[in-house]
Amino acid sequence: MTLASLTKPWAPMSYGFLDASAKRELRRKMVKAVCVPGCQMPYASREVPMARGWGTGGLQVSLTLINPQTCVKVIDQGADDSVNAASIRRFLSRVSGAPVTLDTLQADLIQSRHRIPEEILREDQVLVLQVPNPEPLRSVQPNMSIARQMHGDADYGRMWLQLYEQIVRSGRVMQGASYPSMVNGRHVMTPSPIPRWDVPKLHMAKHLTILSAGREKRIFAVPPYCRVEPLVFDDVPYRVEDHAGLTCSRSGAKGFFMNEVPQDDGTSAFELSDSEYGVKSIRRAEGDPVDLGDTWYTNGELTK
Amino acid sequence: MAYVATRGGERAIEQSERLFRAELGQIDAARVAEVKQALPYLVDRVMGEASLYDEDLAALALAQTGGELYEAVLVLRAWRTTQPRLTVAAPIEQDDLFTHRRISAAFKDIPGGQVLGPTLDYSHRVLATDVLTGTPYDPPAVEPAADPAPAHQPSVSAWQAANDLVDLPKPDAATGEAIPDLTREPLLFPSKRAHTLQSLARAETGGVLALGYAAMRGYGQAHPTVNELRLAEAEIVVKHPNGTEFSAGRVKVSQAEVVSKKGERLGLGFAATLGWNEVKCISAATLDLNSKGAPKGSPTEEEFFLYHTEGVEASGFCIHFKLPHYVTFQSSLDAMRDAKATRAAEQEPAE
Repeated sequence: MTLASLTKPWAPMSYGFLDASAKRELRRKMVKAVCVPGCQMPYASREVPMARGWGTGGLQVSLTLINPQTCVKVIDQGADDSVNAASIRRFLSRVSGAPVTLDTLQADLIQSRHRIPEEILREDQVLVLQVPNPEPLRSVQPNMSIARQMHGDADYGRMWLQLYEQIVRSGRVMQGASYPSMVNGRHVMTPSPIPRWDVPKLHMAKHLTILSAGREKRIFAVPPYCRVEPLVFDDVPYRVEDHAGLTCSRSGAKGFFMNEVPQDDGTSAFELSDSEYGVKSIRRAEGDPVDLGDTWYTNGELTK
Repeated sequence: MAYVATRGGERAIEQSERLFRAELGQIDAARVAEVKQALPYLVDRVMGEASLYDEDLAALALAQTGGELYEAVLVLRAWRTTQPRLTVAAPIEQDDLFTHRRISAAFKDIPGGQVLGPTLDYSHRVLATDVLTGTPYDPPAVEPAADPAPAHQPSVSAWQAANDLVDLPKPDAATGEAIPDLTREPLLFPSKRAHTLQSLARAETGGVLALGYAAMRGYGQAHPTVNELRLAEAEIVVKHPNGTEFSAGRVKVSQAEVVSKKGERLGLGFAATLGWNEVKCISAATLDLNSKGAPKGSPTEEEFFLYHTEGVEASGFCIHFKLPHYVTFQSSLDAMRDAKATRAAEQEPAE
């Protein structure tokens, strides 16, 4: 036996870019995160060949989970062809050899910035959400060490107060995206800046969701079949964006989250935010045999 | 198929990168060597902020990014993080530093002497425009001192400690793999001393200066006196698996000790970094000096300045705002419009 026979030949880059020690740390932190749903686990968060704030947290998780058979989908704001989604997809495929897809149904691993696809995810799929700010308490407590203590004490009074103040001032909860949500009845988390439309998709979902903030070095998770409940008062129900009645001007699909596209005449047109669902809807309308999966919303109403 | 037709993402990003790189032209070993030779202080700054001491790689990072500093530091760090940690070098005591420059503002003279070394401090900052009109600038020859300064010198704080003026920090007994490594662990607060010093060592120079300057101007409790500023070379001593200790070479380091009166004793602030970077070390040491007991949320509080002087994170987050944010924006618009419409409906007079 020689030393050479025990080691792998030298390569300028590890498989999947990250070296084994970084992946080991991430695996351990992911397991911890799954064990304590919604609780932020600090991790080293290595530099990756992409700027901080551009999905480096999600990227590290994807690079750790990926293997040559993993079919990867990457979306940004719902779109597969967004420039940064294209860049991340290209990088993941380049360093892992994994096949890529645009179709939610085909994907094993979906890395997403700020959207959850409209088609229901399965138990065998993993959703990786990019997180700019992992701390739901940031707006009431910018100091991370104090906020960490508040989570430890389940001290969410100021969070509730903030929502109450919004109702008093504006007549409704004004929180847009990143709606603070109680996970497994214990930890308040930010679901990342997904629209309110997408938060109910996390509740008792079949799939595993991993949320990772690279710049802020925190990872947290929503395991399958776990409660995710937006913070609401008993007498003020949770409201998703008023998109149920909108129709996609391109595909004709109705009752999904839409992008608003300002028009020259001062009005707005709408198009599906989940771009590939839009493409598939158009293709089906044109007679192509395409698989459209079951969706979380039917005619704008939550189905599950 | 309207959707498909609009898919220009992949091609667009490829071409935009080409456009950037085309401007820079060919990058070869000669250009890298030129950067390394012509811009040693810039190379030092990049090495310090990337916490990787390799002049060739730092010069390459600068050449490859056209001197976009944040990008240069990022590519270097991204390369560094994939490299194995082969060993941990022996600790370096101040007396062991091969010192090029060492000055103290606290005393007129200090044991070992004031050693000016290389500096622009007393130069007249006149642009050498003659160079552009064909008269090259040749630096006049240095006349060596008849009596050279000693290469190894004690720290000023050691003298102060011996005179019961300052309490030196307790020596850290951690060795080898037990030394906390910021690049392999998250930064948590209150932070480990090693993490604080490592974090300052790789902090972005401009950021440390901005916050350090704020402290110097009065947004901190302590006014710094530069106890000692040192530019030196440090011998990196590592152990071969067979037990032999040997030098793996020298690296340039800079460090600053600043003090201020705290009751009847002196408070001590310290910072060091790879490469020669005086502004960064004085600013960072000033922040360190001010951090003890600083109120939460103040610029001199450890959590505040360590987070906000992290250049790769700060610059990345700043430029991320260029990314589309239309989903979050739409979500906010929805709440705004609804609140406005509801208010308008409420204000209409009852029929």
